[in-house]
Amino acid sequence: MIPFEYRTPRTLDQALAHLREFGEDARPLAGGTALVLMMRQRLIRPACLVNIRGVAGLDRIEHANGTVEIGACATHRDVETSALVRARLPVLADTYHHVGTIRIRNVATVGGGLAHADPNQDAPVTLLALGARVRVRGPQGERQVALDDFFTDYYQTSLAAGELVAGVSVPVLGPRTGAAFLKFLPRTADDYGTVTAAASVTLDAAGERCEAARIALGCVGTTPVRAAAAEDLLRGQRLTDDLLRAAGDAANGGLDPIGDHRGSAAYKREMAAVFLGRAVRAAWARARASAADTR
Amino acid sequence: MTLTQTCTIPAPRERLWDFLMDVPRVSKCLPGVERVEPAGENTYQGLFRVRLGPISIGLTGNVTIEEQSREGWRATLRADATDRKLGGGMRARARMTLDPAGEGATTLTVETDLTVLGKIGEFGQPIIRKKADALLQEFAQNIRNALTA
Amino acid sequence: MSRVEAQPVLSIRLRVNGKDQAVRIPSYRTLLDCLRSDLGLTGSKEGCGVGVCGACTVLVDGKMISSCLYLAVMADGAEITTVEGLAADGRLHPVQQAFVDHGGFQCGICTPGQVVAAKALLDANPSPSEADIKDWMMGNLCRCTGYYQIIESIKHAAATSAAAGKPAAGGAAGRP
Repeated sequence: MIPFEYRTPRTLDQALAHLREFGEDARPLAGGTALVLMMRQRLIRPACLVNIRGVAGLDRIEHANGTVEIGACATHRDVETSALVRARLPVLADTYHHVGTIRIRNVATVGGGLAHADPNQDAPVTLLALGARVRVRGPQGERQVALDDFFTDYYQTSLAAGELVAGVSVPVLGPRTGAAFLKFLPRTADDYGTVTAAASVTLDAAGERCEAARIALGCVGTTPVRAAAAEDLLRGQRLTDDLLRAAGDAANGGLDPIGDHRGSAAYKREMAAVFLGRAVRAAWARARASAADTR
Repeated sequence: MTLTQTCTIPAPRERLWDFLMDVPRVSKCLPGVERVEPAGENTYQGLFRVRLGPISIGLTGNVTIEEQSREGWRATLRADATDRKLGGGMRARARMTLDPAGEGATTLTVETDLTVLGKIGEFGQPIIRKKADALLQEFAQNIRNALTA
Repeated sequence: MSRVEAQPVLSIRLRVNGKDQAVRIPSYRTLLDCLRSDLGLTGSKEGCGVGVCGACTVLVDGKMISSCLYLAVMADGAEITTVEGLAADGRLHPVQQAFVDHGGFQCGICTPGQVVAAKALLDANPSPSEADIKDWMMGNLCRCTGYYQIIESIKHAAATSAAAGKPAAGGAAGRP
């Protein structure tokens, strides 16, 4: 690796100042698993790494007003094992559990993962299905952006120069709502998926028909994808095999998978439809259970 | 891999041809080209930068007009460039054909044979193809804009 | 815009296997290279260099990490446990002894990572089920054993420690 300056700010403002000083040659460093890997491969050559793990309070996991707030420096392992997340958003704890190995999860952070914007990642898919918002901090202050608008291309986000991810806000599930995450891993357990699918389903007052759905797919393009056409199809309908099949087909149009050693583009397309159906089915079952609980 | 871009330029063939053969000028239409200088007969050298998120690929190399036929409305450009820092490079041959498309308009078809070498090739064909497709699309659009202005 | 003119060298403090170490290293030095080259602790191995194989597993503040992807500067002020820190008072750690007694290694190249990971498991969960062991050890690859003897060794280490009436914590660095 080539030499770089190293900074250890104690506050977010200090961190932002360091980023400003070096411009686009600086990168924030949290867990560093992706960053150090790319630096060792000489794919990126930052002139300065700004280690933000020393900034107080960036690793907090809290619940306030129906929203789980996860700080950028919370690790995957923190979320996976958090009693708060397991109680209020078990699907999210389950999703973070699927990432890589415990070694990676001990170090890789929630914020770093989002900023890295690899379309094969697990967490963004569930976060999209849950309607998460990203908290961004920049020289102008803090702003929030819907995760739907956050990923713009392969390894690219809507972060402007000098901004960093401060955390993510995830609403807890409403009444009569269930959510599920599925990862199709035909290869090794520590790999990225061939396809991933997450769904959140809300049932009507009678607990019979779908009132609303959010479906997201990963490993199907240069960013994770909201399957909006499939969501539209589900609205107002009862759960049938035909409905799930149709929803899977409807999602196809928005996909442009990248064929690789985890599967050809055609195979990923086909599996995306299958796993979309399975994720919706699982979410629906949980929504039914949730509706039964509250009756 | 082979990439094909087709677009209609609201300019007659003669005007489009002259524009395309002016390599320094037409190079500016390709997003990422930072420098193009003559380096011999029908040859130019330059720097071309493309970004993939935080990864910046800087390719330095040559562009040569390999074949040109004004009568046949055909030209072939060859480009060879490397990114020494990354340890990779690319080789491209772009065949351009101009066909009439009605009154004062021309259909420009660019068929590019692209070979990516070394580290850059490890990104995988699909990502490179997507990026190259997007760049060529913008290239065609920029030519269009330059000749419409 | 600032540019890096000279190679920045940083002074960091690590507590490695219970011993304080002060090191001066360039910013780009990985923790693995620092342990091996600057501190002479060559027990941890570089197998893949991309954080996947686990041969470089060390504990930082009790948590297992891939030291090939961890910058040494990130470990400034931390407690590091390497395979060299497992044995204490001239006795092998229960995990190490179990690997010896139950064929947990053949060529030995993955073994430092395996025993460090196994120690971290028993620190966190003194009575793991087989599923627990597999789930935890999943990221430590072995090309020789086929993994059965590794799992058996860990089961025996847990049983031995339970029989001795204490959790399988040990080594100079102590508990996380």
